[in-house]
Amino acid sequence: MTETLSVNTHQTSTELTPNELPGLPPGSEAVIALQGVAKWYGDVVAVSDLSVGIGEGVTALLGPNGAGKSTILNLVSGLIRPSSGTVRLLDRPVRGDTNLYREIGLAGEQEQLYGSLTGREFVRFNAILQKTPDPDLATERAIALVDMAGAADRPVGGYSKGMRQRIKVAAALVHDPRVLLLDEPLNGTDPVQRASLIALIRRLGDEGKTVVVSSHVLSEVERFARNVLVIVNGNLAAAGDFRTIRERMDERDHIVRIRCDDPRRLAAVLVTEPETTSIRIAGDGRLIAETNDVRQFSRLVPEVARREGIRLFEIKPVDESLTSVFSYLVGS
Amino acid sequence: MAALWQLLPVTTLTMRQFTGGRTARLALVLSLIPALFAAIYVARPWEVTPYEFTIDLFRELIVPTLLPIVVLLPATAAFGNELEDGTLPYLLMKPVSRLRLVLGKYAAVLLVTIPALLIGLATTTLIASRGPAAGDLGRVLIAMAGASAAAVALLGAVFLLVSLLIPRALLAGMIYIFAWESLLGRFLPGVRAISSREHSLQVFDGILNDDFPAASNAALTMLVVAVVCLLLAVWRLRSIQVD
Repeated sequence: MTETLSVNTHQTSTELTPNELPGLPPGSEAVIALQGVAKWYGDVVAVSDLSVGIGEGVTALLGPNGAGKSTILNLVSGLIRPSSGTVRLLDRPVRGDTNLYREIGLAGEQEQLYGSLTGREFVRFNAILQKTPDPDLATERAIALVDMAGAADRPVGGYSKGMRQRIKVAAALVHDPRVLLLDEPLNGTDPVQRASLIALIRRLGDEGKTVVVSSHVLSEVERFARNVLVIVNGNLAAAGDFRTIRERMDERDHIVRIRCDDPRRLAAVLVTEPETTSIRIAGDGRLIAETNDVRQFSRLVPEVARREGIRLFEIKPVDESLTSVFSYLVGS
Repeated sequence: MAALWQLLPVTTLTMRQFTGGRTARLALVLSLIPALFAAIYVARPWEVTPYEFTIDLFRELIVPTLLPIVVLLPATAAFGNELEDGTLPYLLMKPVSRLRLVLGKYAAVLLVTIPALLIGLATTTLIASRGPAAGDLGRVLIAMAGASAAAVALLGAVFLLVSLLIPRALLAGMIYIFAWESLLGRFLPGVRAISSREHSLQVFDGILNDDFPAASNAALTMLVVAVVCLLLAVWRLRSIQVD
């Protein structure tokens, strides 16, 4: 995997060939190509002039809630029509070609499933409609992949959120599609289920499938995808290798809240340190510090406190929300 | 059951939805309401024969109001529920023609409503036959069954289409039934000519009076309209956007 990063706040790359689109690692071929795609609902712009290519392997769509990730997945799956631009999958227009659905599996964001069916019936129903040669065999294989064999004969209406997520994934991959679209598949899963799904996603990517996974959790994405598309306000904010993007995110100034028994003295010492951009005492007596190196700063504060005999109660980054992180990327 | 899934997956799924929820039960309960009227009639017979009573019940209550409601519930739920709860992508994202999806749903609507109505009509006729001088109620039952089947075929297609076109199809259908079929259709000749009630009664009268050309003409008109509605539903399903 190459260490590439592109930041696109104003994409105008509608004339690029699919294999030149942002988001594709060099040398990769675009399995999914969105060129100049926009989607709006009345006055609300969900996706704005987006040009991006997605190749084989796992690609994460990373962005805060409401960024447009689900809209992009719905555009790629042909469930909605772009207001402008083109969406192609395996070099074919995605809408109006029902045969293309043999190659796609989608586990969407919707919570509801066919509540009266058992998990096995639900997956088998998908296998039959996908015209798999042996629906029973395909069903058992898919259920085993998501570790749901034990609960497969229970009605899906009684499933927990994590179980629903897993059975949706089973239904999406029951026909062994080349392209798998997973919308926040780890939502509601417990740590064991999450680890299992992450291992499955990575395995499918290693097998050469094109797996697109949306997520709003930065630490989660790190575990299954190296190629990342950062989506903010319907725009591609950054694309490329996860670590490069992560480093870029860490380069921004961070705000840290500190609670101690002598804020004035601690502030007086910290302000002289090069990692401190600014520092002030808030109304509740807490220190609000801005730092250009959050990792070094988080090591520095306890050291200074120990040296000065100050009791430290809390050190907490206050702008670690994804929205602020992504806003930084867009702003840059 | 597994063979049914394999052969008719969409129909089987929809039937499971109808029978698992309230739709099928409600259709059956509504279909049995005329039987209640028949029981009241038998308890204290009015100055009409069971033959006249059953025909009046069919013409004035079943065709204009009860039958359309019995069809409306499953027909608007067939696609409407999936649109509402977001499960429609499980059907749309399959290499299956939209015509097959529509026909699968339509078949489920017919399979739920026709047996329910037939049970209701047969029970009603059976109870009414206990009244004085019953007459040839068997013939009335056949005419009612034929007219009902034609009406279900037409209204099932109409309501299926409506559910794909507007979000509150059930409410719109209710307004249509009470305003158009039950009220205006009785008094305005223009409305009557294009109401399902009028054509259903032509089928009924045709079968009852051995006027089969009249019954066939009316049934054919209803069938043509049903086919047009189903084709429009296919077109709508091709262009629909699901978020």
